[in-house]
Amino acid sequence: MTEALVLKPKDYKSRVTPIWCPGCGHHAVLNALTKAMVALGKNKDETVMVSGIGCSSRLPAYIDSYGFHGVHGRGLAVAQGLKVARPDLTVVAMGGDGDGFSIGGNHFLHACRRNIDLTYIAMDNEVYGMTKGQASPTTPMDWDHSKLTPHGPGLRPFKPAAIALSAGAPWIARGYSGNPNQMAKLISEAMEFPGFSFIHVLSQCITYCPEQTDWKQVVHETEAEVVTDMAQAATLFLAEDGMQTGLLFRQQRPCWPPPAQAPQHNAIAVLAKSLRA
Amino acid sequence: MKRWLRSLTNICCVVAFHLGGFTIMAVLNNLQATGGELAIAITGAGGAGVISCGELILRGWARKGGRGMLRKSFGPQIRGGESAALLVLSSNECYTAATHYQLVLALDWINFDRFEDEIQVSSDTLVICDSNDTVPGSIVASGATVRDLSFEQLSKQAHPEGRANMFAVGMLAAELGLSPGDLCQLAEQKLAGKDQAYIEAAHASIVNGYDHPLHCDLKRPAVGDTDSWCVSGNQAVGFGALQAGVRFVAAYPITPASDALEWMAGGLEMAGGQLVQAEDELAAINMCLGAAFGGVPSFTATSGPGLALMTESIGLAVASETPVCILNVMRGGPSTGIPTKSEQSDLDIALHGLHGDAPHLVLAPTDIADCVSTTEWAVQLAQHLQTAAIILTDQFIAQSTGIVSPPVNSQWQAPQSTDVASEQQDYQRYQLTESGVSPRAAPGDPGRRFTADGLEHNEAGTPSARASDHSQQLDKRRRKLASVDFGNNWADIAGGGELGLISFGSTTAAVKRAAQQLADEGIAVTTVALRLLAPLQITALDTALSACNVAIVVEQNHSAQLFYYLRGCCDLAKTVHSVARAGPVPISAEEICASVREVMQA
Amino acid sequence: MSESLRAFLAHALEMETEAGERYQELAEAMGLHNNPEVAEFFSTMAAEASVHIALVKQHADGQTLPILKAWEFDWPDVEAPESTSYESTHYRMTKRQAMQLALANEKAAEQYYRQLARETIDDQTQNLAAQFAEEERQHAAGLERALRQLSIEPTHHRQDDDDPHVPE
Repeated sequence: MTEALVLKPKDYKSRVTPIWCPGCGHHAVLNALTKAMVALGKNKDETVMVSGIGCSSRLPAYIDSYGFHGVHGRGLAVAQGLKVARPDLTVVAMGGDGDGFSIGGNHFLHACRRNIDLTYIAMDNEVYGMTKGQASPTTPMDWDHSKLTPHGPGLRPFKPAAIALSAGAPWIARGYSGNPNQMAKLISEAMEFPGFSFIHVLSQCITYCPEQTDWKQVVHETEAEVVTDMAQAATLFLAEDGMQTGLLFRQQRPCWPPPAQAPQHNAIAVLAKSLRA
Repeated sequence: MKRWLRSLTNICCVVAFHLGGFTIMAVLNNLQATGGELAIAITGAGGAGVISCGELILRGWARKGGRGMLRKSFGPQIRGGESAALLVLSSNECYTAATHYQLVLALDWINFDRFEDEIQVSSDTLVICDSNDTVPGSIVASGATVRDLSFEQLSKQAHPEGRANMFAVGMLAAELGLSPGDLCQLAEQKLAGKDQAYIEAAHASIVNGYDHPLHCDLKRPAVGDTDSWCVSGNQAVGFGALQAGVRFVAAYPITPASDALEWMAGGLEMAGGQLVQAEDELAAINMCLGAAFGGVPSFTATSGPGLALMTESIGLAVASETPVCILNVMRGGPSTGIPTKSEQSDLDIALHGLHGDAPHLVLAPTDIADCVSTTEWAVQLAQHLQTAAIILTDQFIAQSTGIVSPPVNSQWQAPQSTDVASEQQDYQRYQLTESGVSPRAAPGDPGRRFTADGLEHNEAGTPSARASDHSQQLDKRRRKLASVDFGNNWADIAGGGELGLISFGSTTAAVKRAAQQLADEGIAVTTVALRLLAPLQITALDTALSACNVAIVVEQNHSAQLFYYLRGCCDLAKTVHSVARAGPVPISAEEICASVREVMQA
Repeated sequence: MSESLRAFLAHALEMETEAGERYQELAEAMGLHNNPEVAEFFSTMAAEASVHIALVKQHADGQTLPILKAWEFDWPDVEAPESTSYESTHYRMTKRQAMQLALANEKAAEQYYRQLARETIDDQTQNLAAQFAEEERQHAAGLERALRQLSIEPTHHRQDDDDPHVPE
């Protein structure tokens, strides 16, 4: 019976139980990712999850595929090197708001710009959850629960979608951990999109930001058609409340790098000859 | 005329020129020892093109079967600055910086004092320059013979667009017995892309210069086999890496390593590989890890400041057991330091710069030719041992172009893999094995899925904070380096004397010369040129020095990094001394000899 | 078997499957976070779900059901009615709270089936939907009885005197 051959979401999970607090939004992202892999019939051996450091970066260990858990902020660099060297693989990069927009900010910008065919899921809980709740680049200005910034960061938070747009990302979506099925759809579309697909996930932190349970009341699914014009998207991303979910921007662009040339016959011998006196 | 040490050729030429005609005066030739050497400096500023002059002469000399090396020195400007082409022509391939120049062609004297440290002249030097320029005080004080020649004027006689640097090429060609036709052809290759009129003017200048020989009977070194390479250390490293199978390079430019990456860009494309220009060094090293995780041997190149940025992720390579090779071309440090000059002051960071206990490989080619096989070896070792290899060269080796006999390849063979195919339930990426090397899966391999991790982990790769897992994995990562047979290439050992001279990298050539000199003086020397700096082959080193009562560690840095490293690992000899000096002026054989004599007398 | 029934069974199967898997995940999470009482409760719920799954499959009687992607199912809310939302859990939640979540799930499931039974024009679907609704009602009733037997617990149970830990 065909049913037996089709993998189920739990078949894509590893045997390791996540250390995430019960109530954490990342559980839903894991759930969504497995559903997307089911929908696309992804081969576990040919899929790689790549992450940096942080709670959300623990995700690769919870998926039964190849994975690379790197250092803080550098997951996107690892993912890009991997995909360029092994274009045959499905590469998904992931991490949190600190990992991606603070220490990893530069790599985020350039990953958007390079438009290498991979998917980046940023699980944004507006806090550094793993290291005891410091403010991150997306923390609201007046959030004063961190000892490092007891009066609140006092800085305007980044708008990751707007940054991604201006840096060159051709596919930008937003998800919410309270809606894993919508996230699954977005992840599935992201993985199919030829190019750099960025999903900004609002994923609540139950421990440091329990107030984020209120997100449920304000998150809203977009009713508009996906925007395909950059100027329009710029207006959208700068003006929006940052809580709208769905595929928000998409534009077809050539991926980078172009397909590699076939190796020249006797390349090494030719190079040796070029170094002769 | 003062006698020089026998290992150097000393020529003194005295020539006088008149505008529109030439009078050749008598030449005094001093005797030359075996291993003749001729050092020529060509200087000029404002786009005079002296580097091109030096390059053409070197290549012309190579075509004749000559051996030699070209170094370059510059002012800080990007264009139009002061430049010096420093040529050493010799009959052997033991290339050191010349400590004395027999011939200086100064197309102009603009800011020449910048080069005073490097271009040392004496009363045995012939200096040729335009009489309209004021000769620098240091030249006058040296007692060098100064002869007037207006390069600019003479070159314009043959052709209205005539160029002084090409005129100089012609002159030198005549002096060195090179064919003007060869030089014209080489010039055309060099100037490919410029318009025909420009190339014609260059040709005319060369031919014109050839017809104005110096007639100073410079003592030419003997020539040999024309089967040679004309290559820089950076190119040689790049070639070695490609030959060893590197097919992914991530590049972030930094002086003096960028040329290696640029050369590799072309080579990689030909070989079917990929190069990504990274946004910073942190991206570069991590991209390499990604590609390597995917099973593609990868490589990056940087210098001190970049290596410092990369250290966290090099540690990730060690902890996750992902192979990677990093070329570090050492330059003057610390911090931004002296980017265009050579030093050996990154030994400490290469050895000890990773946080935690992170044993890894550090190798150092001994000269330009050695860059090929040592880099190949580094890649082979990194791949087999699943760790990071840092290859240390320096600006001297990296950016000097040397004529070398065709380089040899690495002879090292990885031990046979005892990898037995296993199914998912059995496969453990970090399995504890006797050798310490675990069978390594890569994405695409069926049934061996794992997550590589910088977190300490158990055999399966699951993060672990347990004492047993940590000590087992630490032991494993150390054991795999300790239990592999590195063979004999960990160092080059020569001689058998009671005095041991220990070096690494570019000081090796100076040490070899010093050893020869000392031997002539009756002091028997054992030279040890280290190639594998980490893991240090302590037993083998002790054996190599077993006949030595005194050991001197020679290095180009201020804090005697190699000296303290070696002494921290073993005794070396009954008495150990350090000869350590920072850049930018390369340590010379004479300096080493002087220190040795001092030590021996004490 | 009608298209409508096939689709209905596909939904029922998905609902029960995800309910069971979710309970299992939460049981493991609670186990790891050292809340054994709740872990055990969720584990029991997971086991019950497998019974329900088996029953649904029986009704499917070897028919091929439509294979839908997770987001193609037509649920009244963002997730399947019986799936406990991840965000409704807490590592120090009490058994009472866990049971209340399960109860809400059963009621939502019952409501879902009832609504379907009302709306469908297919007889087979209507019958089965009504049947399933009744079963869910019984599950709910069972949970309500069990809840009444639970002792009252302290109001500050979620408090933890210790600060959160920093694992990395």
